[in-house]
Amino acid sequence: MNIALQTRLPALSEYYSETKCIWCDGCGNYGIWTAVRYALVELNLHPWQVCLCYDVGCHGNGSDKIEGYRFHGLHGRVIPFAAGAKLANMKVPVIAFGGDGATFSEGIGHFVHGVRSNYPITFVLHNNTNYGLTTGQASSLTPQGQPMNTSPNGIPEHTLASMDLIFSLNPTFVARGFSGDIKLMTRILKAAIQHRGFAFIEMLQACPTYNHFATHEYLLDRYFDANADGHDPSNLQQAKALATQVQDRIACGILYQCQDTPHFYDRLIPRQGVETTCVEEVRRYDVSEYWKELV
Amino acid sequence: MVGASGQGINSIGAIVAKGLKRSGYCVFGYREYPSLIKGGHASYQLDISNQCIRSTETRVNVLVALNHHGLELNMEELKQGGVVLHVTPGWQFPEHHQKLIAERNVRVIYFPVDDILNRLGARAILSNVLLTAFLWSMLDQDIDALKSLVGETFAKKKALLELNMRCIDEGYSFVDPEQGTISVALPPPDKGFASHLLITGSQAMGLGAVHAGVRLYAGYPMTPSSPLLSFIAELENKTHMVVKQAEDEITAAQIVSGAMYMGTRALTATSGVGFDLMSETLSLNAMIENPTVFVLAQRPGPATGLPTWTAQGGLLQAANCSAGEFTRCVISVSNSQDAFDLMPVAFNLAEQYQISVVVLTDKQIAEALYTQHPYDLEKADIDRGRLVVDPEKLKALKSSDRFNPHAEGGVSLRWLPGSDAATYCAQADEHNAMGAVDESSLNTNLQMEKRLRKFRGLKAGLPEPHLTISGRSATTDWMDVGDEIELLAIGWGSTGDVFQDVMCSDELRGRKIAYLHYTYLWPLRTKELQRLAKRSKRIVLVEQNYQGQLGMLIRMNCGLDIPDRILKYDGRPFFYDELLSVVIERCASTSENEQNCPGFEYAGTSS
Repeated sequence: MNIALQTRLPALSEYYSETKCIWCDGCGNYGIWTAVRYALVELNLHPWQVCLCYDVGCHGNGSDKIEGYRFHGLHGRVIPFAAGAKLANMKVPVIAFGGDGATFSEGIGHFVHGVRSNYPITFVLHNNTNYGLTTGQASSLTPQGQPMNTSPNGIPEHTLASMDLIFSLNPTFVARGFSGDIKLMTRILKAAIQHRGFAFIEMLQACPTYNHFATHEYLLDRYFDANADGHDPSNLQQAKALATQVQDRIACGILYQCQDTPHFYDRLIPRQGVETTCVEEVRRYDVSEYWKELV
Repeated sequence: MVGASGQGINSIGAIVAKGLKRSGYCVFGYREYPSLIKGGHASYQLDISNQCIRSTETRVNVLVALNHHGLELNMEELKQGGVVLHVTPGWQFPEHHQKLIAERNVRVIYFPVDDILNRLGARAILSNVLLTAFLWSMLDQDIDALKSLVGETFAKKKALLELNMRCIDEGYSFVDPEQGTISVALPPPDKGFASHLLITGSQAMGLGAVHAGVRLYAGYPMTPSSPLLSFIAELENKTHMVVKQAEDEITAAQIVSGAMYMGTRALTATSGVGFDLMSETLSLNAMIENPTVFVLAQRPGPATGLPTWTAQGGLLQAANCSAGEFTRCVISVSNSQDAFDLMPVAFNLAEQYQISVVVLTDKQIAEALYTQHPYDLEKADIDRGRLVVDPEKLKALKSSDRFNPHAEGGVSLRWLPGSDAATYCAQADEHNAMGAVDESSLNTNLQMEKRLRKFRGLKAGLPEPHLTISGRSATTDWMDVGDEIELLAIGWGSTGDVFQDVMCSDELRGRKIAYLHYTYLWPLRTKELQRLAKRSKRIVLVEQNYQGQLGMLIRMNCGLDIPDRILKYDGRPFFYDELLSVVIERCASTSENEQNCPGFEYAGTSS
């Protein structure tokens, strides 16, 4: 990410939107929404300098509750849209948001290839372990057997081991936050936005209306800041263990970060040494050199 | 040239085509092949003239058969006095073929390729060079021209180069012991063609896209759109473009949409069911008013259909697919000229109206080889519509300017993420002027009307279909003096070039035939068509689909029903001689039934 030095530091109020929040009382989105604004301000980013891309879901209803150049698209598709936006203009930090339903069902292919491609974007997973906006159906991250809307007997499928999947894709940044700890989320978000590559953040999020198993209190009792406990994010084995073993305590913080893997754009041979962005390069091109071989 | 896929017919075809073009001939190359890498029966046909031609005949003067399957399958295609060149030792023609050979005075040449290879100590791969050289001598072409052409390929591999040159000498000097020296006479060349390009429609489209300022390409391989992806990728180190082979068509469409939202020009291409996957993104871009261009390269469907064959079955798909009502534009390329020219046009339309433009092409255009005059590089403008970039003007913007429902023609101001200005949300939910979700009745009406209002301006600004008239002379122009049109044909896409070649035929000289070619298919302009229809004795629709899809759109737009249709849906393009004969039939029956054949009727009121 390139962050230009600004003479005028942004104020939190610059991100203020007149659109009223309509999330349920106690929804984890309030905390994540707040942490995102803190992180952007603390990184000296004005709203016009950032691009925020939202998938469809309760979190996506936050797309008009914040300032910034925003996009609110189709269910499951936010990662490729955000990647395209970023590749077109590497100077603008791009942050994508998606729920557990969109990310691990409709858009799981995009997610897999997003991590694998190591696009230089931040992806924030709003994990409330269900489809909130469509009234509480099971997602692939809902515990097997948990009765939900449309699955009164619980879902017959296995719960998807999301962190095992992610670590199988050679990620370069994996973090976990909890919607009840804004300070922790802000720290993670800042590190993610500054990361060179695909930064994955799972935000464990309370859903007081539909999630009666991993509630705010449940998460509050179990989460802890692994970095404060001395976890070194460059330790892959420990990171995997912390990420996947969540039965008793849930490790949060920056679980894994690899700084020396080049991201997607840096691997593009044709772009090496090119200082401009694709956005700046739109003009009429003389292509006669390219047809010489065809004469 | 016929043989198994992978046997080298494409390389022989490409070398002969280029050599002849450099000698001053217009060459049109046509490929047929199954969806296989090795095996299967494939062909590469070259139609050659000293005048501009852009179509293929069903019959040939020379058949080169690289295996015996060609001798079994393609003999019927030989013309009177034709030549068969084959490499199958001891081949005995069955009785019906012997009869054909006698009746048509066909000369059969067995070319002992294995003997010559053994003598030269060359590997089998060089059999193509041997055959090419012999073919070259048969066409009375200069051996040095062939040597320099082949030399360009092997310039850096000296040993290979020498062997190739020896093969050329051997092949060129071969004389069949039974037939003696055989010469297939070509008309005198027109040196003007020598400087032309030999180019496929996909290459033309790729060059057009680069010319138009496309800086990012994302695609998923699917015939017949893959050659465009390959061509763009081959150029990437020269163009410095971002090229992404996506994990699926949805991804390709979304990447391109994200890139366009950010403000570059980006392109994707696909075919049939791949476009189905992209269609949700079409709807998305309509809602967020994001300019985008999609290439839909048609092949016969439904489903996987005939992957390597051609069709025009995607018109209604392009014009109608995807959720909700919105303004879009559908245009179709017809040949290597407008495959290039229409790329800047498509991007300009997309940006002027902040809509998606679907550019149709088909397998015939995508893979046919055209002799193409070098492109005019000064003609195209880059028009980015109501894009605000001036820093002062940016400062003055309000968030609510972005989707201002009262904007003239429904086209509001657009500015790019990263601009120091008020921000907005590109909102796929129904939204107000600044992109905040607003489901109120008042707002929904305003925004729907804003987006659909673009249709009127778009339609008014699009060119009318292009009219070509046969039998035109310098002194008395029947069209201008108001004569009745004997036959008015309507078509689009790759059909156009074949029909125009047909109109120029000797058989139709002096006939009052008019051909109306649609490049801009949606919104559809029908004023010119209705005017011409009134003075036409007979109207015929010419399309490569089952339903007559352009005819359906015409009827939907202005009520004009065209029951007379020349339709083809077998995966093959219209061939020159085939189309000529049905047009002659139409003309003949028009003369016979002058009184009682209205040929068309109005199904409803015109708009």
